[in-house]
Amino acid sequence: MTYQDLKERVDYRNALIVLSLLLIGVVSVYSATYDARAAETFHKQLIWIAVGAITLTSIAFVPFRILQLVSLPAYFLSILLLIIVLLLGKTVSGSTSWFNLGVIRLQPSEFTKITTVLALATYLSRSDVSLKKIRNLSVAAGIVLLPFCLIMLQPDFGTAVIYFGMFFPVLFWGGASRFTLVSILAPVATAVAALFGTTPFLISILVFGILLYLTKEDRIVAATVFSLTVMVGISVQFIYERLKVYQQKRIATFLDPNADPLGAGYNILQSKVAIGSGGFFGKGFLKGTQTQLNFIPEQWTDFIFCVPGEEFGFLGSATVLFLFMALLMRGVTLGSTVKNRYGSFVAIGLTSIFATHIFFNIGMSIGLLPVVGVPLPFLSYGGSALLSSMIMVGILMNLYANRKEY
Amino acid sequence: MAQQDEIEIYGNRRVMYAFIALVFFLFFVRLCQLQMIYSKEYGKKSEENSIRTIPKEPIRGTIYDRNGVLVVDNRPAFSVTVMPFEFDKKTVPYLSRLLSLEPDFISDRLKKGESFSRFVPVKIKRDIDFRILSALEENRERLPGVDYLVESKRFYTTNALASHILGYTKEISETQLKALGEEYAPGDVAGSAGLEAEYESSLRGRKGAELSLVNVRGQVIGRFENGKNDVPAIEGNDLILTMDFGLQAFAESLMTSRRGALVAIDPNDGGILAMVSKPDYDLSFFSGVTPPQVWRSLNTDQASPLFNRATLTRYPPGSTFKMVLAIAALETGTITPAWHVTCPGAFRFGNKVFKDTHIHGTVNLVEAIARSCNVYFYQLMLRTGLDPWSHYGEEFGFGRLTGIDTYEENPGLLPTTEYFDKRYGKNGWTRGFLPSLAIGQGEVGVTPLQMACYAAALANRGEYRQPHVARAIIEKSPRTIDTLSFPTRHIAVSSATWDVVREGMRRVVEEGGGTGGAARVPGVQSAGKTGTSQNPHGPDHAWYIGFAPFDHPRIAIAVLVENAGFGGTAAAPLAGLCIERYLYGHLIRPLEPVAPAAPRAKTAAGVQHAENRQ
Repeated sequence: MTYQDLKERVDYRNALIVLSLLLIGVVSVYSATYDARAAETFHKQLIWIAVGAITLTSIAFVPFRILQLVSLPAYFLSILLLIIVLLLGKTVSGSTSWFNLGVIRLQPSEFTKITTVLALATYLSRSDVSLKKIRNLSVAAGIVLLPFCLIMLQPDFGTAVIYFGMFFPVLFWGGASRFTLVSILAPVATAVAALFGTTPFLISILVFGILLYLTKEDRIVAATVFSLTVMVGISVQFIYERLKVYQQKRIATFLDPNADPLGAGYNILQSKVAIGSGGFFGKGFLKGTQTQLNFIPEQWTDFIFCVPGEEFGFLGSATVLFLFMALLMRGVTLGSTVKNRYGSFVAIGLTSIFATHIFFNIGMSIGLLPVVGVPLPFLSYGGSALLSSMIMVGILMNLYANRKEY
Repeated sequence: MAQQDEIEIYGNRRVMYAFIALVFFLFFVRLCQLQMIYSKEYGKKSEENSIRTIPKEPIRGTIYDRNGVLVVDNRPAFSVTVMPFEFDKKTVPYLSRLLSLEPDFISDRLKKGESFSRFVPVKIKRDIDFRILSALEENRERLPGVDYLVESKRFYTTNALASHILGYTKEISETQLKALGEEYAPGDVAGSAGLEAEYESSLRGRKGAELSLVNVRGQVIGRFENGKNDVPAIEGNDLILTMDFGLQAFAESLMTSRRGALVAIDPNDGGILAMVSKPDYDLSFFSGVTPPQVWRSLNTDQASPLFNRATLTRYPPGSTFKMVLAIAALETGTITPAWHVTCPGAFRFGNKVFKDTHIHGTVNLVEAIARSCNVYFYQLMLRTGLDPWSHYGEEFGFGRLTGIDTYEENPGLLPTTEYFDKRYGKNGWTRGFLPSLAIGQGEVGVTPLQMACYAAALANRGEYRQPHVARAIIEKSPRTIDTLSFPTRHIAVSSATWDVVREGMRRVVEEGGGTGGAARVPGVQSAGKTGTSQNPHGPDHAWYIGFAPFDHPRIAIAVLVENAGFGGTAAAPLAGLCIERYLYGHLIRPLEPVAPAAPRAKTAAGVQHAENRQ
């Protein structure tokens, strides 16, 4: 392989983005665990990065066909793992989502999201499949709903959100009709609105009512979707009652973070204070008092964004935002330049997974979204999440290398 | 790109770009809002923020003696602390000169503390004197992050040392920390010897917590909600002891310059009146922080001052053990009190000759006890046999733990048939072992505490009361006094047997020709038994056990002086003085110098250190 060849086949820019993010992540985890009697966390993270880098490289250079071939088997294998983890897994903070393999703990749901994208892409790239057909749409939804439901059983709300965040853009990419998209979005958005109270709920059904009308779909079908939306909104209250206490608390906290300053809202408040007090230039490495005084419990997992925010200020957090935006934009570009239909869906699916993680995590850290337990790719501590992010980048780089193949 | 379905697929990429851009735009706007527009407000919030839980150490319970005299109290002690976050490493040399600490020691402590938390002050020196405290105070500006805190340290109010009984507290080790669990944190102290260890859970109290507002540097700036949510520390419980610290101090003074132990018990309840182990050490060395050189010298001292000779040793009891055999022989009906032996001054058994101290002529049991005739007991042992002897030895508490509450003791050794069978094989030992055991020599080992309990049981005609030092625990709120109870066991021995044996013991002290005349106390009838035990480490150990008054005993005592020679001259007088001091409350005769201690052995301490220190 000549230099020119290598340059043609390796996505250097993407590699640079990921490397920068990893660097910021290592620095942030180091700082967050500096005092917290969690120094081993940092060392573990370094090991995971090494493992991830090897995995990434191997996947990036695997022949493209093999990727396609293993898609479906990998999907079913990961579904099997999800079922096993439900039966035998380890329970951590109320959720049975871990395999304890002695030295390492693995969270299969982190890998299932990838295999789900691969399976979905395999199905949607078939020439006889069109999202205009109800039957095909149902199969596509089934592919996603199977792992989604298994994960909701754990229950792991945060990871389940990722599946929706991935599915919707893929449908959109696959050319689903406006009516289909609105019908899927309406109940979800209305459910969230219903949590805020009656007025947001009413506004939501009004907006979706108009949208449904504008799609010019058959009146009866539109009316069915509409009434379904209303029913979902109403039953949300009922479901809310049946949620785990910590989940209820997280939702309640989101609605009014100031209501319970030492409860769950404490995290959002402290996180905002950490980022806000960082100012433009930040307080300096290891000098962030919010971080160093451990105001945010387990900050190195879901609230890692506060660390660059506090210690490196606006410069630091804006850099992180910029890098993530570049990653997502390049993902979409890749999705639209890959000649292979399967590859295109994979690129959009994986990019959507990244996007959902990033949107929810950062949105939560800066107080725009509720506290959902979703790690920030490359920055948050966590072996399974990091490894799955690296695998996703590996696949994206593989697609880039083979972008000209049909 | 011209194909129909490709256009269909890729047509939406602009919407995707737009959506991503929109979200990130929102995020950027929010970051600007947080980090530029409102950054001052958030900065202020982060400064004020901060609620910190500061543990509050409870006041450790104090200790009183049986007369209500406060013997262990607390005094404030100042400790120097350094908060790693604020500390300027350049000031290490200055600080080390001020506190006379090695610079490396300070850096090392800092590094350890930093790994725990940079905002939690590390203690670098405990119990500094006032001169250093004022020097620190004057130089506060030059020493950022250096502070002091007031802790309490033990203060011993009486002139008695009682080092082995009271014990000391020490900073807990990492292994202890794991074993003790959540109540403790690194740097905490816990009792690690004597009563301090035994009653740790009572004396300690419970830690409290103060919720404080901490500023951006972690310095306390006020209370959180005026202390509404604070948890107050609960003071430790006080202990009331059975000991008489007047007697303790007196007994210690008697034992000064000797090696050995003295234990006095109240036979009516088993309470320890005094317990001395010499050489000992000054507990105030341990009250604050113990200088390493003190530790080193205490640990390497050949005389083992840290070692409690009263409970951890295994001395051969010598002739003081003869009453066990006498009781066994009478109770099994082997002999009557009238049975007599003519003592020619030695006894031949097989090809071995067992010596006696004198030619005692013809003696009966009472006389044999009073004059400590070995030949009589050699023969008596061969007639009685090992098993009855072992049985009554066990009844008197030998070969097993007494259950005393001073944290550590040794069961000693009382051989039985099974023991010899196991050790030498079924046919590996002979009756030739028995004559030695008759006079408390050979493979038998006791602690002075066991001997005092034995004396108390003889005084009580068989009521064996578990020895103890703590009498009651005082709880502070609500104030209640918990009197502790300890078990009593009855040794089944006939009244006639008690009469004979006790008469022998009375004659030891009160009749001419008795070996323990030196223990006589004017105006009080007392009883006792001397012992002189051979040991492989040098000159004989001197033993004396006794009790007084004879009819209604109030004190039972055991005295052991290592390598001091004859029990009647080296140990008996000390017991007599203690009895006098206790029964009269003061000495009624002028204190004469007691027989000088015999030359010490050149070898290390003449103590048979026990393997089992529990």
